[in-house]
Formats: sequence, C-alpha cells, structure tokens
Amino acid sequence: MAAVNLNLFKTMYNNLPSMQVSKDKVIDKVAYIGKKWSSPHQRAILGITAIAIQPYIDWKNKNVDEKTRKVAVARTCAKIIAGTLTGVALRAAFIKGIAAMSKTAAEIPANASNFSKKFMQCLTPKNLDPVNKDALAQYRNAMGTILSLVAMVFTNFLIDAPFTKFLTNKFIGMQEKGENK
Amino acid sequence: MFSPSKMWNGFKNYIYKNYGENPGSMLVHTGVLGWILSSMAQVYAVVFNNKISKEQKMFLIPQEIADAAVNILSFYTLTSGVKYIGAKLTKTAKLRTSELTSLLKKSGHILEKGEKRLENKVYAGDWNFDITKLENYNSEIADKFKPFRNGAEVITGLIGSVISSNIVTPIARNKYAAIKQKQAISNMNKPTDDKNSRNNPVKFDNRISMEAYQNLASVKYSSSSLKI
Repeated sequence: MAAVNLNLFKTMYNNLPSMQVSKDKVIDKVAYIGKKWSSPHQRAILGITAIAIQPYIDWKNKNVDEKTRKVAVARTCAKIIAGTLTGVALRAAFIKGIAAMSKTAAEIPANASNFSKKFMQCLTPKNLDPVNKDALAQYRNAMGTILSLVAMVFTNFLIDAPFTKFLTNKFIGMQEKGENK
Repeated sequence: MFSPSKMWNGFKNYIYKNYGENPGSMLVHTGVLGWILSSMAQVYAVVFNNKISKEQKMFLIPQEIADAAVNILSFYTLTSGVKYIGAKLTKTAKLRTSELTSLLKKSGHILEKGEKRLENKVYAGDWNFDITKLENYNSEIADKFKPFRNGAEVITGLIGSVISSNIVTPIARNKYAAIKQKQAISNMNKPTDDKNSRNNPVKFDNRISMEAYQNLASVKYSSSSLKI
C-alpha cells in the first residue's frame, strides 16, 4: 500500500510542470543569498518575524486570564529583543574572528612573523581545497556559528537572561503606567 | 592514542567536509543545536523574576518547558522538511535556471512539448532524476548549479525556520502550557489524602510547593528556551 502511494506520488511529481527561473536578477540574488547569507541573517530574520507575530499570538491566547496574557506578551517581546540582539552580534563577531584565524597560505602577508602565521592559520582545516573559496567561506560561517553557540550558553545566563528580565519588567511597568493613566 | 590536537583537526576537517558546500544543512543543524543549548537559560529568567506572581509563574514555567520540546521538534522537522523540498526541486531540475535548461536540452534530458516519454528513461524534473549524477556535471553543470542550489536551500531553510519558530511553536506551546497550568493548579488544591503524592517531587505535605516546582524547573536541562 505504501509502495503504491509512493509510486502515485512520484507519478504526480513527474507530471508537474517544471519551473524555470529566467530573470538574471533573481538568479543572481538566489546565488548571493546562498553564498553570503548565514546564521546572523537567519537569526535576524527570525527575530524580525518573531516580533511581528509572536506577541500577537500570545495576546490572542484565550486559554489564560488577561493579567497572565499581559505578562506573557511583555516577556515574549523582551525575549525576542534580547535574544536577537545578542544572537546576531555574537554570531557575526565569531564568524569574523574565525575568518581571521583560518587564512590560506596565499592570504598571509609575506612579512608576517611566525607567531602571526600560526595564529592566522590555527583554525584553517587541513583538508582545505585552496581553489574552492566558497567552501572556505562556508566553513568559516559554520565554525563561527558553532563556537558562538557554545559561547552563547554562557552569555545566555550573563546577558540574555538578565536583559530579558530587565526588559520584561520595563514592559510590565509600561503596561501598568498605561493602565493607570 | 588520544590526542586533543588530532581530535581538533578531525573536527575542523569534519566541518569543512560537511558544511563547506552545504550552507542550508549547516543552518538547520546549528539551529537545532542553538535551541538545545538555549533551553537552559530561559527558565532562570522566569523563576527568579520577583515581579512575576506565583500564579503567573505556574503558567510561564510550563510554557518554557513546552517551548523547548516544541521548538526543537518543530524546528528540525519543519525546517529540514521545507529545506528538503528546495533541495529536491533543484536536484531533480524541476526548478532550474534558463542556463541549466539549455545544458540539459543539449544532453537530451528535457522532454520537449509533444515528445513522447520513452519508457525507463528518466527526464529532468522527474522524481528519480539527479542532476549531480550526470556525466557532464563536473565539467559543465556544477558551476551553474551549485550557487543556485545553495541559494534555494538557504531560502527554503529560512522559510521553514520562520514557520516553525514563529508560527507553529508559539501556538503549540500556548496550548500545552495552558493544560500544564490547569494540572498544576488542580494539584495545588488536591486534598491531603492523595496516595500518589508521597513520591511526587513537586509536592510538599501532599500539596504542590512552589519552591520544589521552581527547583525542579531550574535543574531540568531542556526546561525552556531563550532563543540564542
């Protein structure tokens, strides 16, 4: 039965018309996104869409009373702002830092000292294909993102959590001020 | 013999080999890792916030627990699912650029209008078609295909992550947290002769204790998520 369904699905897929992208501008933009966009962009897009959607969903949550809803909205906004700011900044900083420490031999200035050379190549992968510049850029994005996530376990407690608490209280205060007016 | 330097080099090589040409997968995998790691922090912000009342905490702490579970599950399934669609469309050349169409036409992989489909032949746009397996892939196609595929995968991955993180997650977690809040409040009001309460770590003197509840929440690894 499952095999029949899969074959039916494949036949349906095969009969769907193919889509061709012809506009050079669109093709270039897609290629640009694949090449240049990475985790800081992803985090920023998640943050922007989150602040537009999530507080509304929390506000429309009729399963809880109004007071709880107000706190939930305040906390959701605070969480999104704190998380997005630190998330984007740390990812971008780590990717930049990793790029400075994963140079190819050709990228190192000839007059660099031995220590500088070692520092600039301490994160360069051994199986590097020097011709494939895109792969190295993606490696830097991946390594920077992974190491920034490890760092963010700590900044989550040191920056995000207290910052979220601070912003939540600010927003609750603003709500109370508005109600007392 | 165990060598940290060998392990570190192995790790770097692994990242280069697996994500060097796969930015879409990297975004999905690091996204999941981010959700897992961030789950630890959020409950701290709720548990130790004195401005949030006991009743509100009864709602917010379960909300954070629900967040973690739903975030991780929905992020992975939805994001990788939507990304898979992007990857499949490009790999089978169902979605392609005009340049790729010309190359595929030249090698006879496009079924022209009115042309009869040959049995057992796989055409561009078919489920089993794989552009990367073509003979002229490395020599002619790869340079034009890879940037387009990578872009399509990153875009579909982003769409999946927005749907999962910002639409599915908040709706699902609110429903789950409301159920948990009702359960917690009914536990608080339960009579003292409940036989099962002795072994329940969140109960004190046969009733739920806020202190025990908070302690339990703060030590739970995936108790919630402050998205990092």
